[in-house]
Amino acid sequence: MLTQAILAELRSAVGDGGLIHQPNQLQTYECDGLTNFRALPGAVVLPQSTAEVQKVVRVCAKHKIAFVARGAGTGLSGGALPQEGCVVISLARMNRILAVDLDNARITVEPGVTNSQVTERVKAAGFFYAPDPSSQSVCTIGGNLAENAGGAHCLKYGFTVTHVLGCEVVLPSGEVTWFGSEHGVVDSPGYDLAGVFIGSEGTLGIATRAVLRIVRRPESVQTLLAAFNETSAAAQSVSDIIAAGMLPSAMEMMDRISISACEASVHAGYPDCEALLLVELDGPTAEVSAQMVQVRSICERNGAWEQRLAQTEKERALVWKGRKAAFAAMGRVSPNYIVQDGVIPRTKLPQILAQMKARSDETGLRVANVFHAGDGNLHPMVLYNGAIEGEEARALEFSYEILRMCVDAGGSITGEHGVGREKQCEMSYMYAAPDLATMNRVRLALDPDNIANPEKLFPTPRLCGERTHGAYKPHPIEAAGIAEVF
Amino acid sequence: MPDFASIVGPDHVTETASILTVSPASTDETAAVMRLCAERKLVVSPRGGDTKLNWGNPVTPQVILDTRRLAGVREHSWQDLTATVGAGTTWEAMECNLAQHGQRVALDPLFASTATVGGIIAVNDSGALRMRYGSLRDLVIGMTIVLSDGTIARSGGKVVKNVAGYDLPKLLTGSFGTLGIITEVTFRLHPVQATSETWTVPSDDIHVLAELQRNLTTAAMSIESLQTRTDEDGFALDVRFASLPEVLREHEQRLREVSGGLTTSPSTHDVWQTREHLFKRPGATILKITALPNKVGAILQGFKSLLQNSTVACVADATGIITVALAAAPTQIVAIIHDLRARLRGDGGMVVILRAAPDIPGDIDRWGGSPPAIAVMRAVKQQFDPERLLNPGKFVGGI
Repeated sequence: MLTQAILAELRSAVGDGGLIHQPNQLQTYECDGLTNFRALPGAVVLPQSTAEVQKVVRVCAKHKIAFVARGAGTGLSGGALPQEGCVVISLARMNRILAVDLDNARITVEPGVTNSQVTERVKAAGFFYAPDPSSQSVCTIGGNLAENAGGAHCLKYGFTVTHVLGCEVVLPSGEVTWFGSEHGVVDSPGYDLAGVFIGSEGTLGIATRAVLRIVRRPESVQTLLAAFNETSAAAQSVSDIIAAGMLPSAMEMMDRISISACEASVHAGYPDCEALLLVELDGPTAEVSAQMVQVRSICERNGAWEQRLAQTEKERALVWKGRKAAFAAMGRVSPNYIVQDGVIPRTKLPQILAQMKARSDETGLRVANVFHAGDGNLHPMVLYNGAIEGEEARALEFSYEILRMCVDAGGSITGEHGVGREKQCEMSYMYAAPDLATMNRVRLALDPDNIANPEKLFPTPRLCGERTHGAYKPHPIEAAGIAEVF
Repeated sequence: MPDFASIVGPDHVTETASILTVSPASTDETAAVMRLCAERKLVVSPRGGDTKLNWGNPVTPQVILDTRRLAGVREHSWQDLTATVGAGTTWEAMECNLAQHGQRVALDPLFASTATVGGIIAVNDSGALRMRYGSLRDLVIGMTIVLSDGTIARSGGKVVKNVAGYDLPKLLTGSFGTLGIITEVTFRLHPVQATSETWTVPSDDIHVLAELQRNLTTAAMSIESLQTRTDEDGFALDVRFASLPEVLREHEQRLREVSGGLTTSPSTHDVWQTREHLFKRPGATILKITALPNKVGAILQGFKSLLQNSTVACVADATGIITVALAAAPTQIVAIIHDLRARLRGDGGMVVILRAAPDIPGDIDRWGGSPPAIAVMRAVKQQFDPERLLNPGKFVGGI
């Protein structure tokens, strides 16, 4: 636990109003979006500037106290889960947009700015910020950097790392530096530290400022819904669209359970079918129109029995609302569920679905699926009833088994949610010991004392020897309906 | 020497001027070679096609690790738009292979016929396609590397979307062979664009072309690549549209509207070789300047008006990377570089000397100073290569 002397040092770093240490108040911070893992921090600080973050980290470094950075706490892998008694550094109060440079399509923000606020700020000038995790209305840029957030549109536009030109970082030593360019110039000489920092899940330091690339809004956007009787036919359509040389801005698939859950919750007007494919094209009007004709004929050839083109911005928004509500909507069809985030080579989709189905039949646990089909990112949801003795443990094991299936198929255990606490033990299934040891060399270079979000991302003997979980509880943000789990 | 020969075979070890050249044929052989080098504390320079070996500070190695036998497309999952290739594969050989399925790695590096995949990644080269498809950090999705102690590490994977663990491929990209030897790489692929057209717009006023560039990028056109450059009379902007034939016709029309009174004429795709041609200028010093895109016009203007007793040619992509070939008296070149660095520093612009003419004084810093995070970079180097065996001193800040 933190001593009174350390609390006093923290208080002098952030002021009285910036320190939380009463146990009842600390509870708000005991978990992130992965709510079945909880731990009470020793203190939470709310710095308002880089200098304050630096002071706090210096206190932690001096006493070798673990610190965990936190944005909105929407992460799904336990990246912002505190270590018992650690210092949580909330970046929520550092939420200013510092500079907008439309001429060079750059924007400079503090880490507490939300993803949507970036787009809001530049929308009128015809720009948007491309990464779009579905918690975008609340999740913060700092958290997006930590997790290398993706979203439905990264097939075409890339991930957070594609859009960060530079970031100011408070290192675990308390030093402040810039990775990449403070001015947003490309190819700064030196190692691409921004490239490795983004997605390092808070284990290499804390971003306190970021220069982001914004993108021109496309001239035209068209969104198609196509209904199929077989998931394999929908999957084939995805492959055919890619093979035809098109790069849609999004391709999403949902199975029957997901569709009915979404319909019950959002009434998006989805057709009642086994597999629903959503294809969004954007770009110059002439190109989008011509390509949409091709997409429709591909879907038809693969047996789509209904195709519906969203005609207005309102219809498009409704289509997406349904899709983005998919996870939260699972509550309609199951008391509990576990969301996973595996990735497979796109062509392995039918194989993996068959494997999941077989295991589902064997275990009696249902699996609902929504995928970012274009990039092979699966979000299987294992449905279970926590009230039934032992069912949660079986559901968890099944969900990890799915990740291992993904690795066996040549894929990954996480496409956008991160490893965090949830999947660190699966890291050794995906990577060999020397691979992990090499990654750890980066860790040693930046955080030799292992105080920045320790015991995350890498497998540890302590945690991977004794895996225990409590029951899933909705995160307060999710329960309030502010964000959906995507 | 017998030890290296026992690893790679006697035919694949040669000695010239007391430098050993060793050519392993696999990642395992590369690891064995590196273990031996580590044991004997031999300084190693990795080498691919030897097209850019003189970039960065000079290094005198005891062993040159030739990667060209690590060649070949290992796997092309064309339906998944990914491919895994040996790092010693030449870019052209790789692209020819991928083209069988109408695919490519959407990057246009220098010297594609002889430069290898590993070497291109080591210097993070990119051309005019970068505006649309990003740089290597966006295109490389997995990598196998051998560290200086012989450790083999694989990271990333064969899927486009993957956030499991640290992204080591990004750390290795542009590291100039100072952290590890790249032996195998997995790329995300893009389809080859079936139909494309290139247009050239000349003008003696760079600011008119800069304005045109701004208008083109706002007009929602399917631009494949775009560059501005100096030419004999003044400047020129080249733009390549790639899309369906009917879209290309519409784009041509729009280009004419946006260009106002400027002459627009069709060009052959050869204009995209202009950057490479800069390197063929005899005795030229080659600079890589990076700046905010809206500063590029003024920099090009500056070069054009600067010199009396010299020749200069520049090619700039749309992301703010300018390649400059400069031939002048050495003192003049040194003065120009110092002056440019001072002028650009305020807005984050950098001037890196890629290739110095032989008469340029050796004491000028090729990298233009150390970046803010140099201490972290040194710490990373220390972890990856504590004995400083891999290209010591070559990189920024003498890393």
